[in-house]
Amino acid sequence: MAADWIVFWVCAPISIGSAIAMLLQRNAVHAALFLVINLFTVAVLYLVLGAPFLFAVQIIVYAGAIMVLFLFVIMLLGVDREESLVERLRGQRTIAILLGLGVVGEIVFAIRAGLGFATRAPGGFEAANGGGNPQALGRLLFRTYFLPFEVTSILLIIAAVAAMVLARRRVRPDPLPEHRVPGPVEPPEPPEPAASLEPREEEPVG
Amino acid sequence: MRTPIAYFLVVSAALFTIGSVGVLVRKNALVIFMSVELQLNAVNLALVAFSRMHGALDGQVLAFFSMVVAAAEVVVGLAIIVSVYRRRQSANVDDVNLLKW
Amino acid sequence: MLKQIWLVPALPLAGFVVSLFAGKRLGRYAGWLASALVVAAFGVATAIFLDLASLPDTNRLVVRRLYEWIAVGGFHVAVDLRVDPLSMTMALVVTGVGAVIHVYSIGYMRGDPRYGRFFAYMNLFVFFMLTLVLAENFLLLYLGWEGVGLCSYLLIGFWHERPAAASAAKKAFVVTRIGDTFMLIGIALTFLRLGSLDFNQVLSASVCRSNGFCPPTSQPPGVFTVIALLLFAGAIGKSAQVPLHVWLPDAMEGPTPVSALIHAATMVTAGVYLVARTHVFFENSGVALTVVLVVGLITAIYAATVALAQDDFKRVLAWSTISQLGFMFLALGLRAYWSAVFLLVTHAFYKALLFLSAGSVMHALDGETDLKRMGGLRRTMPLTAVVCSIGALALAGIPPFAGFFSKDDVLAAANQTGHVLAWVIALAAAFFSALYMARLVFLAFFGEDRTERRAHESQPVMTVPLVLLAIGAAFGGFLGANETRGLLQTFLAPVLGRVPEPTQGLSGHTLAGISVGVAALAIVVGWLVYGSGRIDWVALRVRLSSLHRFLARGWYVDDAYGAVLVSPGKAGSAFLAYVVDARVVDGAVNATGRLVRWLASVGRRVQTGFVRNYALAIFLGALALLVYVGFRV
Repeated sequence: MAADWIVFWVCAPISIGSAIAMLLQRNAVHAALFLVINLFTVAVLYLVLGAPFLFAVQIIVYAGAIMVLFLFVIMLLGVDREESLVERLRGQRTIAILLGLGVVGEIVFAIRAGLGFATRAPGGFEAANGGGNPQALGRLLFRTYFLPFEVTSILLIIAAVAAMVLARRRVRPDPLPEHRVPGPVEPPEPPEPAASLEPREEEPVG
Repeated sequence: MRTPIAYFLVVSAALFTIGSVGVLVRKNALVIFMSVELQLNAVNLALVAFSRMHGALDGQVLAFFSMVVAAAEVVVGLAIIVSVYRRRQSANVDDVNLLKW
Repeated sequence: MLKQIWLVPALPLAGFVVSLFAGKRLGRYAGWLASALVVAAFGVATAIFLDLASLPDTNRLVVRRLYEWIAVGGFHVAVDLRVDPLSMTMALVVTGVGAVIHVYSIGYMRGDPRYGRFFAYMNLFVFFMLTLVLAENFLLLYLGWEGVGLCSYLLIGFWHERPAAASAAKKAFVVTRIGDTFMLIGIALTFLRLGSLDFNQVLSASVCRSNGFCPPTSQPPGVFTVIALLLFAGAIGKSAQVPLHVWLPDAMEGPTPVSALIHAATMVTAGVYLVARTHVFFENSGVALTVVLVVGLITAIYAATVALAQDDFKRVLAWSTISQLGFMFLALGLRAYWSAVFLLVTHAFYKALLFLSAGSVMHALDGETDLKRMGGLRRTMPLTAVVCSIGALALAGIPPFAGFFSKDDVLAAANQTGHVLAWVIALAAAFFSALYMARLVFLAFFGEDRTERRAHESQPVMTVPLVLLAIGAAFGGFLGANETRGLLQTFLAPVLGRVPEPTQGLSGHTLAGISVGVAALAIVVGWLVYGSGRIDWVALRVRLSSLHRFLARGWYVDDAYGAVLVSPGKAGSAFLAYVVDARVVDGAVNATGRLVRWLASVGRRVQTGFVRNYALAIFLGALALLVYVGFRV
């Protein structure tokens, strides 16, 4: 048995399983943790596919940075909020599931038409990976794809600036309801009423 | 390598679908966002698989860029969610329905 | 001077423009200005006439092109003015009688709040009438035709605050419109069949000789009949012949000078002019001539009987005009075109005179027109009485006044071409004509005074025109005294053909004697019944009341129209307005609006405001796209 065969058949089910589990969690933190599991398994699949650099980047950046960010925000927004299971929009769930089945069926059909399922596994990657995978990637990145590389650096700067602007506190802070100070000074813009808003029964699209 | 590339693509398809359904079904804005990340991951997996199939590294470079952009997107998206939460004290996506007729 | 023919219509047009814009400021002078311009036009016309007469007999035609009006593909129409004997005769009548009436109106319309506008309209009318008679092609003639119809409408309804006047104006316009529509079809047909609208080309290509020989044309036989009858339909409308005569008596609601100018001397004669001008069409088609003859004859006798029963001074004259026009068409139908034109000219004089005297009487009696409330006016208005009598005698056909020569001409033509029955009926009509005129004069000016006011003679600005017209009525007959060698006939010969020597029937003198005798008899009868006081005509009327009512209501023709055409028409309009328009059309429009609103109200439900619904829509679309691409590939 080839090593990749075993690894694949271990990681793929875990990957899909954790994704479904993430979907079904009512607690946001639990969902995030399942997603982390999924990211790990996908990283392993990268390794199987001969992309060690991406394996490392996936773990460091995605699982390590992005998910941590997610968890911080969940913490800000209320860790123990449970999402209600009642679906207010009529037909949304059914259509979504049908849609899902449709998409997966379509893609499988496409794969079958394009590739077939009994292709022999492809040959090695050695020629492309000359001198090691990071080196080869670096050669590609700094020669052929140099412009996108620079553009993405600008993108990151923009993202950072945007986040700072969007999330900054106003000069006069909106007081949270439980912190409102009774007195002569009234806040200029009282906040919108809280989750007492019930989403109405509405016709979904379609 | 013994596993055909098609298998990886099927995994990618499954992950993508699960992510899509998650976007449509969940009500918490953060979970929806996480589902979007799942979709992006699925696409990255497909890219790397194809890169392996063609024997060229371009797919991996593309996946790399995809990750970078995903990171930037997460930053901005979470900032938006936070500011919306500040306004409405709710992370429920169904509560931002002011554009209703 | 011949080249300056354009001045003749241009002068009144200038008057119209000036009066329109500066009428208020001109005040009293508007009348003098308008009259002066028409007099000037008359002067220019006279000069041109003399110039024309100095040309040799066969060369009396000048066409003056003013500018190219329409040039579309093969259809070319220019504004051309035609100077030939017929058009100059008509132009002189229009400007001459018109000038006199303008001067009269200065006095008659004094004090009217819209004084300036009156003269603007009058000048405009003269302009259009001149365009009509001077036109060299059918389209320009039609322009003038419609223009005079418009001015007639404006002037009949001049006192538009009076509902009777407003509806009379509308009636005149609508009824003449019926004729005009047929005429337009006739003009179109002329262009289609004969290829041109210019008189030069159309009227000579279809010329029949005066001995009755018509060149074989390339047209199928009925074409000229149809064209002629269509044009004649227009004449029926404009000249108030049966069956389109109903508007003329009602048109008396307008000011009296209007009645004199438009509905006696000029506009209503446009039909006669038209037939005379296009007589070659009628010559090419025997049927059309017969129709003209019959229509003229019927109208003559019918209108004469109705005139007998009218109590309104002006209505007697209106019906009289209809009858006299019938005589003119009778003459045209008998191919005695020169007689028709001669009668037209003399009729213009004495009818205008009669109308202006009526105006004089009305002016004196504060607007009274009922003959039953007049009487003995010769004592208080001697001049008016005298000129009116001259006009009446002229109309009756008593020598040496103008009407004798002209009417006698027509009667002679009837007899000497073998139409004995027509002659007899025409004689009867002549009898009635003399009788109703006698009745008019005796009731108004003789007998005991039944008026409620003290009458007085009119001011000189009104009496001088009366005298001028009286002179014309008295001596105008000598223009055409001898029917074959009279001045007018000779002058018109190049256009209307030479007068043939009579070949059958009674001799000219016998006929003249019969005509005079009939007229004299009628006057005697009139004197006995109405003038002498010996017969109680009021009681006579009561005894014959149903006959009287029948005659007075115009043999109930107008009432018949009202019941058969007008009432259903109004009902139809009401239906269209209140049912079709209000419910169907408006309903459709409103329903469209409601439909749009309903669609919008359904459509807006797409905007649920829920992000997840929108996301679902996006995914569905993407899936559809995928499927499509998948199947193509």
